[in-house]
Amino acid sequence: MTPDEILQQMYDNTVLGKVADVTNLTKEGLALEMDPLDMLYGGENKELGGRGLLPALQEVGRRFEVGDFFVPEMLMSAKAMQGALTLLRPLLAAKGEKTVGKIVMGTVKGDVHDIGKNLCNIMMEGAGFEVIDLGVNVSPEKFVKAVQDNQPDVVGFSAFLTTTMPMIKVNIEQLKKAGLRDKVKVMAGGAPVTAHYAEISGTDGYAPDASATARLAKQFVGSDGAVPTGALVDAIAAVENMMSVVEPT
Amino acid sequence: MSIPNAPLYDYLPNEGIETIHEMTLRVLEEFGIAFNHDQAVDILERAGCQVDRDAIPAPLVKFPRGLVLEQIGKAPREFTMYARNPQNNVVLGGKHTVLAPVYGPPNVQDLDKGRREATLEDYRNFVKLAQSVPEIHNAGGVVCEPNDEPQATRHLDMMHALLTLSDKTFMGNVVSGENANDCVELAAIVFGGRDKLAQTPAMLSLINVNSPRLFDTRMLDSLFVYARARQPLLITPFILAGAMSPVALGGSLVQQNAEALAGITLTQLINPGTPVVYGSFLSNSDMQSGSPAFGTPESAAALLASAQLARKYKLPFRGGGGLTSSKVADGQAMWEASMTFWPTFLAGTNFVLHAAGWLESGLTSSYEKFVMDIELCRMMQVFRGGIALDEEGLALDAFAEIGPGGYFFGAAHTLRHFRDAFYRPLLADVQNYTRWEQKGAETAEMRAQRVWKKWLREYAPPPMDAGVLEALNEYVARRKQEINAAEAAY
Repeated sequence: MTPDEILQQMYDNTVLGKVADVTNLTKEGLALEMDPLDMLYGGENKELGGRGLLPALQEVGRRFEVGDFFVPEMLMSAKAMQGALTLLRPLLAAKGEKTVGKIVMGTVKGDVHDIGKNLCNIMMEGAGFEVIDLGVNVSPEKFVKAVQDNQPDVVGFSAFLTTTMPMIKVNIEQLKKAGLRDKVKVMAGGAPVTAHYAEISGTDGYAPDASATARLAKQFVGSDGAVPTGALVDAIAAVENMMSVVEPT
Repeated sequence: MSIPNAPLYDYLPNEGIETIHEMTLRVLEEFGIAFNHDQAVDILERAGCQVDRDAIPAPLVKFPRGLVLEQIGKAPREFTMYARNPQNNVVLGGKHTVLAPVYGPPNVQDLDKGRREATLEDYRNFVKLAQSVPEIHNAGGVVCEPNDEPQATRHLDMMHALLTLSDKTFMGNVVSGENANDCVELAAIVFGGRDKLAQTPAMLSLINVNSPRLFDTRMLDSLFVYARARQPLLITPFILAGAMSPVALGGSLVQQNAEALAGITLTQLINPGTPVVYGSFLSNSDMQSGSPAFGTPESAAALLASAQLARKYKLPFRGGGGLTSSKVADGQAMWEASMTFWPTFLAGTNFVLHAAGWLESGLTSSYEKFVMDIELCRMMQVFRGGIALDEEGLALDAFAEIGPGGYFFGAAHTLRHFRDAFYRPLLADVQNYTRWEQKGAETAEMRAQRVWKKWLREYAPPPMDAGVLEALNEYVARRKQEINAAEAAY
């Protein structure tokens, strides 16, 4: 395949959510020493039609908005993007592109629900974040240790039950005790969690759905003083736009 | 409500039910169910299940088919639940239908104050409403979440309200084994001790499966406490197809069946003969947005088929209610509720949770919708009554009296029956336009508001022995102290 054909195939297969194909195309492109930025943006020859990863996500978002695409299709496109970014991230970093940020995510202690949290993870990874997922039923101590060990920009608490929502506050208290609260931004979400509840629990922000989670994470990273720009930030924006119509899950 | 005459609706042919049954046993044998609970896994292993303790996310248990069939056969086909007021005793199973209010919402809503976080006052109000209306037979459990009470002790306030404001059967707390034990102790005070309570089960507790194929620790801790105290258990897979089960209804029914039978098997191994209800909470996700959807045609079909499965296993069945995704008590709320109520009653459902007050996919308890749902419950109960075909039912004397072209308003047969011949609406307006306009042009929601306010105004607490009340108060106060002390130490 020529580089142009690879860019076109990347676009087509990302739109169609063919995860393995996109990963293989990325590898093939890298073997041909193609520019990772071209793979993201689609390269110079725009007249050739849809090319590259980000234009593909824009197209997926458009199709979702008009009702042609459903959640599973969008998820597969985000996963395809995620696979490609795993390969491209180190190269982009080596080219001086800023990494977007690191996020620790988990479902709070006593709660084993994770479908919503997993959707958020996929969207954020697709957007270029490094996501460290602690899984479900995560104790405050485990969250604290993960924040200590990984030094993430953001930590996200998910709670699905009215009975486990109070763990959001407990986790924050434990972060305070460990002297970590001002070193990390805290966000929370989950079906019964409201913006008001997140606020009185002491979080920095609340996200009602997967796209809002990515948007919030981006705000947090940006508000750090080091406003990120560049290719990976564009990747966030693309996923964010794609997901902007998704309802709370 | 009991002994309806109308037949039950078989949605699937018998061979369809047999196919689901066969596939279920295969899923239990080949794929298994995960139990995040060492003691449960020990018991199941000793009973002959194959266990992989290192499985992720929890130990995986594979069930030999013989064990499942043998154990579910030990559960009673029907059982009596005993209320503080014996007139409110109910039978679960057979031709009986027991209705209970909405369960679980963190929010409440009414026309005056809009949507807000629920408080203990709201909780007490919904218990009072449940007590006030004869259509509701079980006062419920988490009629809404009393967010203004501390998390660690609010189960005591809830149980105290259920035991004192109502004299109907009720539901136990399942947040932890410790909470469940408090519920058993409080009920034992009212029912004459733990031994007596075991003989006269008073509370039904909702054990949800964290579908797909996973039982979590808190629920199982509670299940152990209640099974040992011989209080009935409601084993319900929580399934929104597309997210928590395959998008195929057949596969979803198989998964639900496997999960329910696995949980019921465990209850019988812990305490053979423990009363259980086969639960179904099966709707689908909206695949375009990912949101849960209620009142869907698929959920109606699944409800009818689920009830058939419970009948096959000779187990009482739970399903349905006034389910809707609507945010307000509007047209969507009531057509979705109706779409769920119809199959609920056609299926002869024995326990109907969420029969009144459910709104916003279960995130809100609505005062107005509570009344609207009661209207539906009342109509369904009349519908289930069947058609009388005796002499009075066939009304031959009315034909003899009223000739061609006449009218029946004054017929002798009419005069004998007109007051109770037809269902009288609680809420529906049947006046002509002018009279409706003159009386304030009220919408259904406005009329419903007047009704629940009247019910609350007229609510009278059921009498309670002063000594029992004192013992309840003492227990709650003591436990709050203990729990708060333990919290402070943490």
